[in-house]
Amino acid sequence: MIALPIRVGLCAAWLVAVVAGLGVLISYQNAAGVAGETPRQWPATAQLSPDPSRPTLLMFVHPQCPCSRASMEELNRLLAQNGGRVKTHVLFLRPSGLAANWTHTGLRQTAAAIPGVTVHDDVDGVQAKNFGAETSGQVLLYDARGNLLFTGGITEGRGHAGDNAGVTTIVSLLQGQNVSSSQTPVYGCALQDTCEMTSQRRLAWKQ
Amino acid sequence: METVMPKLNDTADSLPARTEELFKGQEQNIDRHTDRLFARLMIVQWVAGVAAALLISPQTWAGATSQLHLHVWAALLLGGAVTSLPVLLAWKQPGKRLTRHTIAVGQMLMSALLIHLTGGRIETHFHVFGSLAILAFYRDWHVLISAAAVVTVDHLLRGMFWPQSVYGVFAAPIWRSFEHAGWVVFEVAFLIIAIRKSRNEMLNVAERQAKLEILKASIEETVAERTAELTREIAERMQVEETLTQSEAQLAKAQHIARLGSWEWDVVNNKVTWSDETRRLYGFTAEDFGLPMDHCLERVHPEDRAKVRLALAEALRTQGPYVCEHRALLPDGTERVLHGLGEVVVDGHGHPVKVIGTTQDITEAERAEAALRRSEEQLRQSQKMEAVGRLAGGVAHDFNNLLTVITGYAAMSLQRMKKDDPFRKDTEEIQTAAERAASLTGQLLAFSRKQVLQPRIVNLNDVVAGMEKMLHRLIGEDIDLSTMFDPELGNIKADPGQIEQVILNLAINARDAMPRGGKLTIQTANVALDQKTRFRNRDLDVGEYIMLAITDTGVGMTEEVKSHIFEPFFTTKSAGRGTGLGLATCYGIISQSDGDIRVYSEVNCGTTLKIYLPRVDALGTTNADDPDADVMPNGKESLLIVEDEAAVRRLAVSVLRNCGYEVQEARDAMEALALIQTQPPFDLVITDVIMPKMSGKNLYDRIKVFAPRVKVLFMSGYTDDALAHHGVLEPELSFLEKPFSPARLARKVREVIDGPKIRTPVSTKTNGHIPAVKREPTRTAARFALG
Repeated sequence: MIALPIRVGLCAAWLVAVVAGLGVLISYQNAAGVAGETPRQWPATAQLSPDPSRPTLLMFVHPQCPCSRASMEELNRLLAQNGGRVKTHVLFLRPSGLAANWTHTGLRQTAAAIPGVTVHDDVDGVQAKNFGAETSGQVLLYDARGNLLFTGGITEGRGHAGDNAGVTTIVSLLQGQNVSSSQTPVYGCALQDTCEMTSQRRLAWKQ
Repeated sequence: METVMPKLNDTADSLPARTEELFKGQEQNIDRHTDRLFARLMIVQWVAGVAAALLISPQTWAGATSQLHLHVWAALLLGGAVTSLPVLLAWKQPGKRLTRHTIAVGQMLMSALLIHLTGGRIETHFHVFGSLAILAFYRDWHVLISAAAVVTVDHLLRGMFWPQSVYGVFAAPIWRSFEHAGWVVFEVAFLIIAIRKSRNEMLNVAERQAKLEILKASIEETVAERTAELTREIAERMQVEETLTQSEAQLAKAQHIARLGSWEWDVVNNKVTWSDETRRLYGFTAEDFGLPMDHCLERVHPEDRAKVRLALAEALRTQGPYVCEHRALLPDGTERVLHGLGEVVVDGHGHPVKVIGTTQDITEAERAEAALRRSEEQLRQSQKMEAVGRLAGGVAHDFNNLLTVITGYAAMSLQRMKKDDPFRKDTEEIQTAAERAASLTGQLLAFSRKQVLQPRIVNLNDVVAGMEKMLHRLIGEDIDLSTMFDPELGNIKADPGQIEQVILNLAINARDAMPRGGKLTIQTANVALDQKTRFRNRDLDVGEYIMLAITDTGVGMTEEVKSHIFEPFFTTKSAGRGTGLGLATCYGIISQSDGDIRVYSEVNCGTTLKIYLPRVDALGTTNADDPDADVMPNGKESLLIVEDEAAVRRLAVSVLRNCGYEVQEARDAMEALALIQTQPPFDLVITDVIMPKMSGKNLYDRIKVFAPRVKVLFMSGYTDDALAHHGVLEPELSFLEKPFSPARLARKVREVIDGPKIRTPVSTKTNGHIPAVKREPTRTAARFALG
């Protein structure tokens, strides 16, 4: 038999610990990934070319990233309403030396199933490096002349779908409206290895 | 029920308390059960959370490298943390309020964790509502409040700091948090209603159960009281039964002692039942119990059966008492005399339904009564015999003296007469008449049992065989005489001459009963009288007997005649043919010999007389041959004759002097003693027995004192027990029965003088030797003519 004060104290300690644990979890949920240095102009070294008739949207995705499922859902939702106004390419990281099925995940299939989306393999993340994308789920929007309109994530947390500033900004841009900010934090896995990441300059999403 | 209701009223005060107790108990059971349910559920949820994390976000990547996703760690560690305390409390503190509230909080936290791990999927939010529903299992609305509070706080905090995580919008007004909480409250409200209903039902159930328990307790108490009463009643009943059993045993014992049994005849069903004593009295078996009356009457003696039936029928007809004395004949041949009494029981219509009665064994009483009757009869007979005997004795004494003189002088006269003497025939007639008179006095003495018997060991086969020739002559040619001797026949101790007289008397009677001829059978046999046969031979003791049966095929006798045949002077013969002393004489002789005579006779069928004499184991003695009756031996010895009757004395003196003896005479004992003391010793003293002043026996005793070597010969026609004990002569004495002939006197004198110098008393019971007393051969035959 456990004495009541002990039980109460035990319960309080337990509650604090659990709440703290949830706090840590929430904190992690809101921890944004590294935001790369995105070129203001469509890089000339890029394999892809911008659509001259309309804006081009690029999304860099790690095929194994569980948090990017939410980003893919948001992309689907975005394109469902504005598909005709933008040319969309989704580039899946494909490290060389790995089997092709490493990239053929459910996430890639989801992306391929979205109307108006062109899926590409980004071998060794070359294109991501060209565009300065370092976190899975990062979206870039260029206008028909190759000028950068938007860079950032289209979720409000890790793996959490729902209204977010990224989608709202993109939709406004596509509708020709002015936006207050053209950059949002990205929530997802790193597209590059850690060692590679340390050699690059990290950008805070607030920057 | 009357006893139950008061008890219910008595326990009414305890009903709410018991209801509360049962309700709390049920509540506690539900809490414990739900605690255990949630303990298992939370463990499952934990495992499911880990599995979901592994499935949804197993790893987090950085290029081609990966590591375990934080969600997996969160599911494992945080989920474990959330699960741990509720499970611990459910395990260690089931049923406690804090336990279920901790479970409620933990369950809601688990919902938050799962929602988080699934990326805030709306579907996962249903876990909250499901959890609330399961928490309602506690039927404790406080638990729901705790859970709802957690949800509300969570939504408030999220709405305030991260609304997009719950509302999917960047910024949400506070009311949205309350809206979300409102839905939770909505469910909780209905759950609370349901809980209240459920608790009311639980309370009702508890109350019903409490009532049932109280009722049950009351019934059990009543049952216990009744059981105690029954136990007491059973104990009392057993005591009563034991007392009854003892009473029945005492009754049975009393019945057995009194030889009085009870019985009951169910007239309607014709079944007879009885007590053990009745069963024993009639010799019934257990199988006979309850059989019809006719079957039971088979145990009644055939001669009495009709009488019993008539008595029963009369009792039923008149509804009066049943009284019937009857005999029972048992299977082993035992006969009992029973006295039955009974009463008729009638039903409401006056019809006899049963007869209840008793049966008493009065066999012994009957025997005693019969013995008493016989004793009285014997007493009367004895008194009569005594009177007759006294008369006969008195007559015989004087008469025999006269006959002695008559026969003596007649014999002496005949000796002196020539054969052609004209007075010889007249003298012979005188002698014959005197001998017949002597026989008559002998019979008088015999039936009055005053005759002097000189018993010895004899065998009846020899006695009858020796008489066969004479019997043939006696009964004539028309009657066939046959004998049936038992070759193993034992001996008897009796006076053979008297036995011969008995046989001849009975043979003469048989002859007279068969005037047209017939068959006379004389049979001998060894018989043993036991208790059963003794019943029919009441005058005899149990023991070994020799039976002599004389059977004729004559006219037989009626019961009336049979009852008088042994009385003296009773005869059915025509006048002049019988004196009425024959069978009386036989009876006297046999009775005097410790025997008995039985008569079996039916009119026109014949008669059997059976004589029973005690068997003795001693060997028999041969009867001395009777020498020539006419021989008168001589002698020169000195004799003293003591006789108060002058004629007899003169006759004896004359006879003996003629034989050569030196004879002196005395008129009485005193004179004889004087002569003995003054004269030289006599060789023989011949003395009468009954004399005035001093009897012959006293004289003998005096002589034995003064002259012990002198021999003594008694002579008498009637001793009056002076010499004989109950008529049986003492063995050491010599005796000459009056009347006697001169020749017999001479032979007896010679025999005594020539005998042993001093007679030594010999016990007849040891060697059976009895001094032979010779009789005159013609005397017995002469008596027959008188029978």
